[in-house]
Amino acid sequence: MAFEPADGSIVLDETDKRIVALLKAHGRETNRDIARALKISPTNVGARIRRMEDANALRVVAVTDFAALGYDVLIAVGIEVGGRAAEAVGLELAKLPAVFSVHLVTGARDLELLVAVKDFDELRHFLENEIVHIPGIRRISAGLAVDVVKYNFDRVPM
Amino acid sequence: MINNTKKPVLDDLDHKLIELLAQDARVSNRRIATQLGVTEGTIRGRIRRLEETHCIRLTAVTNTLVVGAPRVVLIGIEASQTELQSLCEQLAAMPEIACVIRMLGRYDLLAIGLFQSLEEIAQVANNRILALPGVSHVETAIAVKTLKYDHRMAKITPA
Repeated sequence: MAFEPADGSIVLDETDKRIVALLKAHGRETNRDIARALKISPTNVGARIRRMEDANALRVVAVTDFAALGYDVLIAVGIEVGGRAAEAVGLELAKLPAVFSVHLVTGARDLELLVAVKDFDELRHFLENEIVHIPGIRRISAGLAVDVVKYNFDRVPM
Repeated sequence: MINNTKKPVLDDLDHKLIELLAQDARVSNRRIATQLGVTEGTIRGRIRRLEETHCIRLTAVTNTLVVGAPRVVLIGIEASQTELQSLCEQLAAMPEIACVIRMLGRYDLLAIGLFQSLEEIAQVANNRILALPGVSHVETAIAVKTLKYDHRMAKITPA
């Protein structure tokens, strides 16, 4: 899954990087087409992709738009924790399906979340029913996304 | 709201197809067709429609811990309302900034950046962004650990 620590031992060479660039443009480009573009064998392409995937350096996936999944409300939630390890609180929050990212952070807050819900009813339910029962949450500050101007998702922490 | 453009309604088959492609986008149409009990042509057509309507993007996602810029930083920005539009454009043009969101509530703008080093964070957040006209306050939260990140969901904007 996405949250496992990466095996930092892999080093990508120029050919790997060119394969990645082609896959970023067209994830379903066939090994044969990639091979032809880079003048190497399709077997070589397949082996390199597999090696990068096995090292957790690369995933070729469908990324789905929030709105296409019905998530019309996106909020950024900062959380101050007290009397409990922030990581324990964060891991509990990570189990909630509406929460799609949790970071342990420096600064005034201890945790930063991105939350996607279908509508304001679901948002209220999330804030009033799901979050409040988690021990250690001292204070919540939420901001509502009104316009996503840029969202680059091809490099992520895995 | 996070959707500016109306998305088509997805049916059961779309959802099943997306679920398979979210695991591995390089599975052949034939294999998906067999698995879902429809024709290859149906799968091909569905994928094309989902891509054309910007519901999905089939792409390579690389791990920042391996390919560089591993520090995720959330930059909350307070700024004058009249400058927001121009600030959005300037932030979006910065290569280190992966995500720019106009917000109501905590901040006026939230920028999420990927950085190589603390020096780079200071350079971008404390020097460049804070110096932009209209910016009155910048709050930086450096992610020291990612507990969850779902890379299969995003805001897809037309290329």
